[in-house]
Amino acid sequence: METLGYLIDGFGVALAPHNLMFALMGAFLGTLIGALPGLGPANGVAILIPLAFTLGLAPETALIMLTAVYAGAMYGGRISSILLNIPGDEPAMMTCLDGYPMAQQGKAAEALAISAVASFIGSLVATIGLILLAPILADFALTFGPAEYFALFLLAFATLGGITGKNPMKTVVAAAIGLMIATVGIDNTGVQRFTFGTLELYEGVDFIIAIVGLFAISELLFFIEERAGGGKEKMVVNKLKLSWADIRAILPSSLRGGVLGFIAGVLPGAGASLGSFIGYTLEKKVVGKKGYFGEGDPRGVAGPEAGNNGASSGALVPMLTLGVPGSGTTAVLLALLISLNITPGPLMFTQNADIVWGVIAALLIGNFLLLVLNIPLVGIFVRLLSVPPMYLLPVVTMIAFVGIYSISNTTFDLYFMVAFGVGGYVLRKLEIPLVPVILGLLLGPEMEKNLRHAMDISDGDWTILWDSGLAIGLWVFAGLGLILPYIVGPLLRRRMKVTAGTGNPEGD
Amino acid sequence: MTFNDRIFGVLMIVLAVAYGWGATQLPEPFGGSEAVGPETFPLLLSVVLALSSLYLIVRPDPDNAWPWSRTGIELIIAVVVLVLYAMLLQPLGFILSTALAVGTLCWRMGSRPPRAYLVGAISGLVVYLVFNFALDLALPLGLLSFLEVS
Repeated sequence: METLGYLIDGFGVALAPHNLMFALMGAFLGTLIGALPGLGPANGVAILIPLAFTLGLAPETALIMLTAVYAGAMYGGRISSILLNIPGDEPAMMTCLDGYPMAQQGKAAEALAISAVASFIGSLVATIGLILLAPILADFALTFGPAEYFALFLLAFATLGGITGKNPMKTVVAAAIGLMIATVGIDNTGVQRFTFGTLELYEGVDFIIAIVGLFAISELLFFIEERAGGGKEKMVVNKLKLSWADIRAILPSSLRGGVLGFIAGVLPGAGASLGSFIGYTLEKKVVGKKGYFGEGDPRGVAGPEAGNNGASSGALVPMLTLGVPGSGTTAVLLALLISLNITPGPLMFTQNADIVWGVIAALLIGNFLLLVLNIPLVGIFVRLLSVPPMYLLPVVTMIAFVGIYSISNTTFDLYFMVAFGVGGYVLRKLEIPLVPVILGLLLGPEMEKNLRHAMDISDGDWTILWDSGLAIGLWVFAGLGLILPYIVGPLLRRRMKVTAGTGNPEGD
Repeated sequence: MTFNDRIFGVLMIVLAVAYGWGATQLPEPFGGSEAVGPETFPLLLSVVLALSSLYLIVRPDPDNAWPWSRTGIELIIAVVVLVLYAMLLQPLGFILSTALAVGTLCWRMGSRPPRAYLVGAISGLVVYLVFNFALDLALPLGLLSFLEVS
């Protein structure tokens, strides 16, 4: 089997001592980032990108470290859902339902350990899925022409909001803004566009600066507005009493959750929050009356948590094989790839096989590391929850400044970053999503290039864009991605809310 | 109230028109025109932005409240601090400017001033030392450059 050979080579890359060290560091930092208040995974990975550059890491090492951060952040995010009933991000919402009651019953340590094991199983299942599916999808993607790619990019934008997204038109506005920013600079034909004669803009807008500004700086402004500077009270976690029987009891739930999550992660427009939602509802259906969901049933923690992590690994499939990310954090990882001069997409599997398979192997190893890190060290991560944001966010902002400054040693970039931060704050206030802006920045040049190639092939005939069956299919799905949220969205959102609402002792 | 989306929509239409007009003014590339010139993709974008912004004006979402009054001032202070931080990073040096910027932000976010500036100073010093000695990246010393050990 060809894949197996590549995977073994990948393990060779990932197990090299320095790569392993960076994976461990990334896993630790990622859990930290996930656990700390006000630092989502996308934000955390974004801040670390400039640092990975300034360290002068080799591409595979940088990618391995940040993939470990990505996986780690998913682990860290559940800590606040279980202990404080505050989901760190939307997918963690379902973990609150049974995790928090468990914590209230004095079983916080068990809930944390179960969620760690479930996360591990979910990621493991999804990573195996990734190993099996990615090469097939990459082979298939090799048949794509420029017109299909153009349609695929449109599909990526259209489904970014997800079927549970609120207002798809705002996704379109955001994508257009991002793509417009991407056109600044000297284009392929050598013409200067929208540079206004400013030397710094000739090479275009560096998307790393934009990403860090949009995420990190706007987050600081949001915390200031909400006056959420104070810390949470100190948390104590009981001593862990977990038997093998407990772990065996959650195994089926975790496996089911992982598979569902993986599928939700791969499919465009579903995403991790739908993955964990389906994971939870299915668990409830399967276990039925025997369960005590909403009252601290361990299976209610395991199902959505495995689904959540499965989805986040699944989301790597379209990113690695097609170069089209499906979530904010994978978009940030794509930014890293592009800035390392690796063209993402199907060719990466042949041209940069060592990197791709190194990363996939690192994902497997990272998950083992995370499990090993998480169970004994959970006390440390719990203590981090009580770090007050009023100290944390200024320091994080400073690290963002240092990172951006050290890329080019100019203050111009810093002003730019602050400007993006203010812009990001305004957009978030208007509920215009930031991820399409970033995706537009990242995909803009590729999109234009593919449009140009398609037109060159057809000699200026626009119908080439929907000439093949595949392209038509992509257009149809893109259209559905924009229309479905209006029809299915309110329904699904209501059901998710109802489930979250009835997470009280009665259940439903 | 639905002013936010409407005003934003109008602004975006203005942007779309200005951007689209700018695109038509782009010079023809060297070697003659092609099917997709430098202006084609931008023109497409301006049409997409104009149409989607029009939708926002016609079907706006309910507003989120803007923080006027004190919180608004705090936000402006924070942005000013960030701009000043960028401005003073080189002249004052990394350690001093970080102590001031991080300190002020911590203070404004609710910490007591002495502790705030202490956190600022320590974080600045630690990051400086890590970058200079462990990572071998020079951050500016600025006013403190007399301390430089050569």
